[in-house]
Amino acid sequence: MLSRTAENIYWFGRYLQRAENTARLVNVQAYLSLDLPRRVPLSWGSLVDILGAGELFAGRYDSPGEAEVAHFIIADERFTGSLRSTLDAARENLRATRETLPSDIWEKLNELHAMVTARGQSVAYRRVRTDLLREVIEGCLTIMGMLVNNMSRGTGFQFLRLGMALEQADMTTRIVDARSGGMVPDGETDELAPIRATQWMSVLKSLHAYQMYRRQQRTRVTGPRALAFLLHDPTFPRSVAFSLWSMQQTLPRLPEHPELRQALDAAVQLVAGADVRALLADDDDSALGRMLDDIQLALGRVHERVDACFFQRQTQQQALENAEATDA
Amino acid sequence: MTLPADKGQDAISWRGYRSDTFDELIDAKGHPRDAARALTDYLSRLTPADLADRRQAAELAIKALGVTFTVYSDSDGRNVDRAFPFDIIPRTIARREWDRTEAGLKQRVTALNQFIADIYGPRHIIRDRVFPEELLAESVNFRPQCMGVRPAGDVWAHICGSDLVRDADGTIYVLEDNLRVPSGVSYMLENRMVIKRVFPEIFETSTILPVDDYPAQLYDTLAALSPRPADQPVIGLLTPGMFNSAYFEHCYLALQMGIELVEGGDLFVADDDCCYMRTIHGPQRVDVLYRRIDDLFMDPEAFHPDSLLGVPGLMRAWRAGNLALANAPGAGVADDKVVYAFVPEMIRYYLDQDPILPNVPSWLCMRSADRDHVLANLDKLVVKPANESGGYGMLIGPRASKAEREAFADRIRANPRNYMAQPTLSISTAPTLTDDGIEPRHLDLRPFILSRENPYVTTGGLTRVAMNRGSLVVNSSQGGGAKDTWVVETDEEPR
Repeated sequence: MLSRTAENIYWFGRYLQRAENTARLVNVQAYLSLDLPRRVPLSWGSLVDILGAGELFAGRYDSPGEAEVAHFIIADERFTGSLRSTLDAARENLRATRETLPSDIWEKLNELHAMVTARGQSVAYRRVRTDLLREVIEGCLTIMGMLVNNMSRGTGFQFLRLGMALEQADMTTRIVDARSGGMVPDGETDELAPIRATQWMSVLKSLHAYQMYRRQQRTRVTGPRALAFLLHDPTFPRSVAFSLWSMQQTLPRLPEHPELRQALDAAVQLVAGADVRALLADDDDSALGRMLDDIQLALGRVHERVDACFFQRQTQQQALENAEATDA
Repeated sequence: MTLPADKGQDAISWRGYRSDTFDELIDAKGHPRDAARALTDYLSRLTPADLADRRQAAELAIKALGVTFTVYSDSDGRNVDRAFPFDIIPRTIARREWDRTEAGLKQRVTALNQFIADIYGPRHIIRDRVFPEELLAESVNFRPQCMGVRPAGDVWAHICGSDLVRDADGTIYVLEDNLRVPSGVSYMLENRMVIKRVFPEIFETSTILPVDDYPAQLYDTLAALSPRPADQPVIGLLTPGMFNSAYFEHCYLALQMGIELVEGGDLFVADDDCCYMRTIHGPQRVDVLYRRIDDLFMDPEAFHPDSLLGVPGLMRAWRAGNLALANAPGAGVADDKVVYAFVPEMIRYYLDQDPILPNVPSWLCMRSADRDHVLANLDKLVVKPANESGGYGMLIGPRASKAEREAFADRIRANPRNYMAQPTLSISTAPTLTDDGIEPRHLDLRPFILSRENPYVTTGGLTRVAMNRGSLVVNSSQGGGAKDTWVVETDEEPR
């Protein structure tokens, strides 16, 4: 398989997964705002932080209100992480590799893209926004369904899986990072306990994990249990551990690269070694933040290895020169 | 004839059908020609409502097969895949007539290849004063970088698309030869698939020669060029990318042949002068490239330094004999419209034969007597620039205004080498389903010729039809459509 084709499929998978998670994230924020008591202000700015776009946002909007943040994340063309830009990027990658993926995906993605472009400017209205986001989520899931059911499990599928799983692991850590700290002030008063539970429930719901959490834990939502579920659960597809396992499954079907395997193993060990109770018990709640940052860096190294091993031209020329050197 | 929409049950009759020139299906007395009889009989049994149904079925099939050519719109950043206009009434050719045409095409392309090899080699034809050297100096398609190169078998134009037209008296002329990157063969293949879905019954009762052998033949032609004949050759189709109007065809042919569809960025030429493609398994050596990119954009090292489409070093790899290119760079020197006028001479010179297929009579404005004739008869002639394709930059004298003709005359005087003129042919028609019923529409034919040890010609080719009444312009970029082309085995000898 050509490196360019593999790269396009990998990025198509990443953008598709990112679009679905982003839509879910904004939707859950709106529900959370209904559940919290008025005296606990809901920070829409935290959504911008999840996507690492605080500076860009501050330069473009006056205040981090609901309407501004929703527009920024859903419809702003100048924000590369917006839903619109993400679908745009997915489309450009798919366009360049249309002959390798099932053809109905192209039509479905075009439909989604056209809808977000047409209705994206009206997302200040909660009603419009809720419908739009639901349709985006359903559209992304439809495309994933087409891929899972209609695409041969050849090399191309491995790159799709690699991209989708890496993106999910990354989105899961981002959502936990931004949703777990700061939003509700910490304190020992019983009065705030239900609110903290609501907060963790929103984290789970952002990842469509609440129902699966309840079935597995059969107990009320607490911070350590929710965190453990999202980091370690071996059966829930959006947990970090499951995503990493899913990436490991692709390696035997791709050309062998020890440095990629090592990078992936390092990420797996880092996640497995995370002690959720210690992370949450720490008085200084930046311990969790530091751990999540470390996981994101480890994922970044996995991406760099994928990129260098399979996609990069420089590496290819280097490999050729090395081969010649060995021949001589 | 017209099909009254309100009398949906009327059977089709050919009695009212009249063309003002030669018609491919119906003779001057209104009788179907032998090769067309099975088709016209079949169509006569259909009602206009049936025909409308079949037409709709064809449109659906085209959409389902994804037959498009791509137009990229910058205004809203979306690409538009425009469906190729398709007429469901096939154009028929008698097997006997086709055999003669096929022989003529092989003869012509053989001479053209010998000419190209001669021009980049010993130049006998110039020394023997059959072909004037000064034409070369001003040819925009002559590539000095190719001098002295000898591709395998001395074949330069492996794939040629020649355009044929028929005049009112029935003579078939060669209008032009496309030796650079001829396109349209995918439409020929898809048109047949569509027609098989639309009129399956007729294939059971008549002998229509198949066309679908082409991808296999093309693959064999390319594979035979491999510089490493012992191994399974690695073959790629080099495309300028998804924004090119022929991208659909590039994808289609690559898939049909099972070869890689590559862009410039997928390839590199290493210090060993071999060409490699970047795969997830590392560099893989490429033996043959079917390039669908103009030679000037192929290699920034040898031609346009700012071309982003090409691969630096491709010419180096080709000259070193490590990579075969089809068509070879520089092959376009023979598809200049002025060089065209010399093809009959080339056939006599290289093959010592008379041309089987005639050229359209041509006046070269570089010759002063010819130029005077052209300038005096601009209102009767078609004048073409030497190196434009797609029907651009030409003057159709009878249809131009006086001011247009005068402006064109100035251009001819300023650069006579760049212009040639031909009489306005009354090119043939065939019955075509229009919104006003079945009417004659003008058409041409582009067969594709593969040059190799035993040359191959497609069975028929791509019939392009001018969909607008009276129009003579068949190019897809200017409102042309296509028909399926049937070479038909007839029982009786033609009268």
